Amino acid sequence: MAAKAYIIGTGCISPQNTTDENYFFETIIGPNGDHFPAIEPSYKEHINPNMLRRMGRAIKMGASAARMAMTEAKLDNVDAIMSGTGLGCFEDSEKFLLAILNNDEQFLTPTSFIQSTHNTVGSQVALIMKCHEYNYTYTHRGFSFESSVMDALLSLNEGKKNILIGGIEEHTPLFVELNRQAKKFNTDTTHPLFEGKTHGIQMGEGSAFFVVSSEKQNAQSSIDGISFLYKPKSSKEVLDKINQFLDSQNTALDNIDLVLFGFSGDSDFDNYLLELLPLVSNHSATAHYKHLCGDYHTAGAFATWLADKIIRKQEIPHTIRINHHTKTSIKSILIINAYLGINYSFTLLRQC
Amino acid sequence: MISAIGNNVQEAYANLSNAKSGIGKIHHLNTRYKDEFVAGEIKLSNNDLMDYIRFKSPALNRTSMLGIAAASEALKHSGIDLNDGMRTGLISSTTVAGMCKTELFYKEMVDKSLHLEVLDAHDCGESTEEIADYLGVKDFVTTISTACSSAANAVMLGSRMIKQGMLDRVIVGGVDALSKFTFNGFNTLMILDKEWCKPFDENRRGLNLGEAGAFIVIESEASLKRRNGKALATVAGYANANDAYHQTASSPDGFGATMAIQQALKMSGLSPAQIDYINMHGTGTPNNDQSESKATVNIFGNNVPKFSSTKAYTGHTLAPAAGVEAVISILSILNDKIFPNLNFTTPIAEFGLSPVTQVTSHRMNHVLSNSFGFGGNCSSLIFSRV
Repeated sequence: MAAKAYIIGTGCISPQNTTDENYFFETIIGPNGDHFPAIEPSYKEHINPNMLRRMGRAIKMGASAARMAMTEAKLDNVDAIMSGTGLGCFEDSEKFLLAILNNDEQFLTPTSFIQSTHNTVGSQVALIMKCHEYNYTYTHRGFSFESSVMDALLSLNEGKKNILIGGIEEHTPLFVELNRQAKKFNTDTTHPLFEGKTHGIQMGEGSAFFVVSSEKQNAQSSIDGISFLYKPKSSKEVLDKINQFLDSQNTALDNIDLVLFGFSGDSDFDNYLLELLPLVSNHSATAHYKHLCGDYHTAGAFATWLADKIIRKQEIPHTIRINHHTKTSIKSILIINAYLGINYSFTLLRQC
Repeated sequence: MISAIGNNVQEAYANLSNAKSGIGKIHHLNTRYKDEFVAGEIKLSNNDLMDYIRFKSPALNRTSMLGIAAASEALKHSGIDLNDGMRTGLISSTTVAGMCKTELFYKEMVDKSLHLEVLDAHDCGESTEEIADYLGVKDFVTTISTACSSAANAVMLGSRMIKQGMLDRVIVGGVDALSKFTFNGFNTLMILDKEWCKPFDENRRGLNLGEAGAFIVIESEASLKRRNGKALATVAGYANANDAYHQTASSPDGFGATMAIQQALKMSGLSPAQIDYINMHGTGTPNNDQSESKATVNIFGNNVPKFSSTKAYTGHTLAPAAGVEAVISILSILNDKIFPNLNFTTPIAEFGLSPVTQVTSHRMNHVLSNSFGFGGNCSSLIFSRV
C-alpha cells in the first residue's frame, strides 16, 4: 500500500473531554466503577434537530464526530465513507429485541428495527451530506475500524481523494449489567492497566471520525499503513508481524518515537503486549490509552485520534505515559491495538 | 452454498434447473406467525447442521454453522491447499449474526443471569471467526455489514485486495440465519408477502425471507497459474454507490442503483449491449422492483437484456443474497442457462418489462448481478466467462 492517508479533519467523542479543542489529558476521568460512559456533546450544534429526534445514541455520536471532522477539513462532501462498529446500534437492537420478547411478537413498531441495522451510522452520515459515493460498514470486533483504515488506503491508491472514516461503539445500561453479571469487568483501581495485575476489562464507548486525504493540505500527520494479526499464538508472532510491517514501511521498531499500547487491563489477554513492552522501552517512548476510553471493538479509532493529536501537539501527556523517555520530537507513532487477545492491529502514523 | 434450494451447489443447480422453489412452510423458526407466512428456510435443524458440518460445539449458532457449511464447500471446490504458503483471506458478511441465538436466551440472561456466554457470540465478527478457524484461514479476516448488499461488498473488497497484491486468494460471501428479530422487523415494515413473492409483477406484495450461507473463492491470476488451477469465471466489474434517499426505501428514480450499474460497467469496459443477462436484486417489494426497473431502463433504455430475480427460489437471504446470486450467476455462465423469475404474470405497468419465466438456454459471456440494501447501499457486480 503506497498511499499515505493525510489526516485533515478529526472529531472525537469519548469518556474524556475530547470535544474541547484545548483539552489535552492534563487530568483524566476514571471509569464509572467498571465502565466508561462517553461524554456526549450538545448534539444540536452538529445535527439538524429534526433528524436528531429519531436518532439512537450511536448514530448521534457517529454523526456528530463525522460532522466535526468534516468541519475541520472544510469539506461538504467526500469520495467515500467507511465506518467500523463491532455491535452497531446496540441500543436500538436491544429495544426491538425486548419489544419482541416482552409482547410475544406483537404491537411492534419498525423505528428501532430500522435503526438497528449495522450500517445505520454510515448511511445517516451519507444521507445528511447527500453523499452518493462508496459507503461501507465493517463489523469485525477489533478489526472494525481498522478495516475502514485499510479500505481508505486501498481507495486512495485507486485514486479517491477525500475519505471519511470512523469507529463507533455504544453500550447500554442493560448490556453493561449483563457483562457485569458475566464477570467481565475489572474494578481494581489501584493498579495501572499495563502492569498485568488486574483481571477483566473496563468497558468503554465513543466515536472518532477522520477525514483523510491523498493531499497533505494542512495535515500534520498521516496514516502510512496498517497491518492485521489474527489470533497469534505467541508474543514472538506479534513481534515478527510488527517487524515485517515496519520493514514494509521502510522503518524499524527502534526508530519509532512513541508506541501506543492497547492494554485492556485483563492480564489473560494482555500477555503478549506485556512481553513486548520491555522490548520497545529502550528506544521508544511508551504510553497507553484504554484507561482513557475503556475497552471496546473500535477503541483503535480513539487511539488513532490520540496519536494524531500527540503529533500535532508534539507532546505526550504525562497521564498516558508508561515509561519516561524524553523525545525531542515525535515523528512516528506505532499503535498496537488488541481486542481480547484475538484481533491485533498495528497502525503507523508519521508527522508530515 | 447452502440455502432453501439445497445444502450444496449441486442440489441448488438441480432445483434451479427444474424451476423448483425452496420457499415453503416454516418449520424451524419459532415465531408465532409460522403458519401465517412462508419462508426460504434451510431444511436442516441446528442438530442436523452440526452433523452436516461434522463439528459439534455448543457455542456455534445457526449463522456460524451455515457459514461453515458454505465456505468449506467453496474452498474444497476451489482445490486450494491453505498450507501452500500463499496468503488467503476470509471476508464474510452478515446482518443477523448471533441474534438468531441471542433472541432465544435474552430473557433468561436478563431475568436470571443465565446463558451469558451467548453474548460473546452475538456480534457479526463471531461467525466469520468461527468459519476462519474451521477452515484454518489466518492471513486476513474481516466482516462487512451493509444490509442486503453485504456479500456483494465482500466480493468487491476481496477483488480489490487481490488487485493491490495484499492477498493471493480470498473467500468472500455472507451468511444469515432466519431469526425472529429480522422476521418481525420486516413484518412491521409491512414488506413481507404471506404467500410466494412475485418479483417484477404488477401485483407484487412483498418479499419472502430466506436464510443462506454463500461464498465464492477469488484468486489472483498468478496464484491460479502457479497451482495450475482453473477459474470458473472472472469478476470483471464492481461498484458501490449510495442512494442517500431514505434509511430503508429506495429512490423512485433509482439514482443509487443507476450509479452502481454505470460504474460497474465502466470498470469492466463493457457496453450495456454486451450484458447477456441480469440477475436482479428483485425482492418482490413494490418499492425495490419499481426503483430497480427504473435504474435498468436508465442504463439499458429500450434494450433491456434478459433478466430474472431468483429471490422466488431462495427467499431474500439478506447479507448472503449477493453471494447466493454470485453463485447462481456463475452457474448461468457455466451452463449457458437463465434460471427463471418464478411466480410472474403481469409486467409493472410503468415499465412493461417482462423477466425470463422459463428455464432458458442462452449464450452467456457477461452477467450483471445487483444487490441493494437498507441505508441506500447499492452494489453491482459483473461476472464474465473465462
